[in-house]
Amino acid sequence: MARPCLLLNPTSRHGRAARGTADRTTPMAQLQFRQALRAAMTEEMERDENVFLIGEEVAEYNGAYKVSEGMLDKFGPKRIIDTPISEAAFSGLAVGSACMGLRPIVEFMSWSFTWVCIDQIVNNAANVRYMSGGQYKVPVVFRGGNGIAHQLGATHSHRMESVYARIPGLIVVHPSTPADAKGLLKSSIRCDDPVIFLESEKMLNELGEVPDDADYTVPIGVANVERQGKDVTLVSYGRALQRVVRPAVKALADDHGIDVELIDLRTLRPMDTKTCIESIKKTNRCVIVDEDWGYCGMGSGILQKLQKPAFDYLDAPIEYVHSDEIPVPFNHYLEEAMMPSVDRIVSAVKEVCYR
Amino acid sequence: MSVVDEVAKRPATRKPPESNSAAKSDGSAERARLRLMMLIRRFEERTVQEYQKAGQKIGGFCHVYSGQEAIAVGISAIFQKGKDQLINGYRCHGHSLALGMPARDCFAELFGKATGCSKGKGGSMHFFDAEAGNNGGHGIVGGHIPVGLGLAFAQKYKNTGGVTFCLFGDGAINQGTHNEALNMASLMKAPVIWIVENNGVAMGTQVERSSAEKDLAERGSGYAMPHYHVDGNDVDTVIEKFGAAVERARKGEGPSYIVADTYRFRGHSMSDAMKYRTKDEMEKAKLRDPITLYEVRLREQGLLTQEQIDQLQEEVSKEVADAVAQADNDPHPQLEDRFDDILAEKYPYQPK
Repeated sequence: MARPCLLLNPTSRHGRAARGTADRTTPMAQLQFRQALRAAMTEEMERDENVFLIGEEVAEYNGAYKVSEGMLDKFGPKRIIDTPISEAAFSGLAVGSACMGLRPIVEFMSWSFTWVCIDQIVNNAANVRYMSGGQYKVPVVFRGGNGIAHQLGATHSHRMESVYARIPGLIVVHPSTPADAKGLLKSSIRCDDPVIFLESEKMLNELGEVPDDADYTVPIGVANVERQGKDVTLVSYGRALQRVVRPAVKALADDHGIDVELIDLRTLRPMDTKTCIESIKKTNRCVIVDEDWGYCGMGSGILQKLQKPAFDYLDAPIEYVHSDEIPVPFNHYLEEAMMPSVDRIVSAVKEVCYR
Repeated sequence: MSVVDEVAKRPATRKPPESNSAAKSDGSAERARLRLMMLIRRFEERTVQEYQKAGQKIGGFCHVYSGQEAIAVGISAIFQKGKDQLINGYRCHGHSLALGMPARDCFAELFGKATGCSKGKGGSMHFFDAEAGNNGGHGIVGGHIPVGLGLAFAQKYKNTGGVTFCLFGDGAINQGTHNEALNMASLMKAPVIWIVENNGVAMGTQVERSSAEKDLAERGSGYAMPHYHVDGNDVDTVIEKFGAAVERARKGEGPSYIVADTYRFRGHSMSDAMKYRTKDEMEKAKLRDPITLYEVRLREQGLLTQEQIDQLQEEVSKEVADAVAQADNDPHPQLEDRFDDILAEKYPYQPK
């Protein structure tokens, strides 16, 4: 399997301040998304000797995307473990060891590669607790790059959130800021359930303010109202939010006078429907944006959760902006064209606002 | 040469090895092993009867262990409770009984009752007893092999001194997980014993038609670990050969790959009429019935009389009948219980 190696760009295009539950007096550090992930893993490994990291090139190579840089030196080969290219074996290993009380963090270089080990994640990680009548806890975190990155072609660009978010027994998390990445990853490592933790290769260089308090966490299952607004509720998460939704929200305010209430879901399962519905009660309009394919995509699932409880408050049908339903093309322009854009979001918002 | 032919040419009885301390015992351990094999057989034959009763009393897929008892019972003789772990794929009834699961808990699970070992949520393919070190019963062929690696990894990580018995059938060795997990186990020197319960047929496809390498122990080569066959119908051989692999693993020398050749007296599942087998083959296999072989040996060694054997048979028949009666009277789970045991923690806005 050919593995991509993205250039590590130290400069960020969208440095942003952290939000979330951090105490404002908490000291902040300006960290890249990857550094925030590393800080979360490092702090949790210092706190609990049952936590270990396993995956391809996480140790000697310092991580394919340098997320685990320096961790082998700090924790040694017993706890930072290189594997062969054997996703089924090491994801299943993590499940077995979690059943025995360890707390593994599995790094997948790309979630696209997990098509070969979905059996381990679904039949073993998600099902074993239920099938055994509750005899096991499975505290494992599976994390890695999800979605379209940059010209990786059809096989390496899968958005796996809708694949996993439909599975009872799994928690699915997709942060969109470095601060949330740290806080949610720490919560995920401490959590007694299997967590699908989705990142994006393209977000790893993003800078943001990140609390350096060892007790800083962001709760699983709680959405973040990132921006208050009165005209329309925009629901998104992860890379789409970072890449196009925030610029679209700015364009809508600046160019069209539309005041968007922006919700970052952060956790996709269990989904915080309450925050979304409260917002729709206020705005009476809703647009969902993600980079998944539309049909049976993540947004379809979100829509299904919102449609009925929000129906009496809606002045327009909920719109869903998603990627074109084609395999992800290699060509840079085609790849860009298939994804949600600022323009597509602006049109969808204008449509639900009858503007 | 088929597996049956191969095992048939071995002697019907043999002396237990000198090194086996059980040979010098008063015979109580041997009697317990024979009783356990008889219990598993009686349990499985009753399971077949219960399955065939009207009204979907058991339902679903059901794979019985009749004929392979010497492997599970041999393992139970060397398995250190509280330390060792076991995980297997199909035919988990025998392993669960061998590790001490009460027959009543097993029948209750087969009947889907709340008192079942998995509260009626697992069924025939998913018997679990975490406290006993019995990690199931897994329904996807080969899917549990990496999990077995993980159990052994944790034993090494925590330095417990325990080993993991990971069992699978000859069908599972053609799954990719088999290659991946064996390779990683050897690299990690994980304390795991890979055990192929080779009953000669993967569902309805004979080994000769499913494995390019006919000598299944060779499938363990290429991973830098000892790999060999044992007679899986001879409980003493199982104890001796598996015991050696366990000692090796406990010393930190890593995994072993053992092919236990045996024979499955029933079909793959209840719906399997076994048309791929000849009468002649099955008659020949019965001559190598692990229970009969062991009875003969214990009689020859003067450890048991025929009357005592008959007495044991009566005991296990009663135990099984009582277990069925109890399980029959046990309650089904409450309907709202279906939402329990999905996640360990509570989250805000968790859907029911």
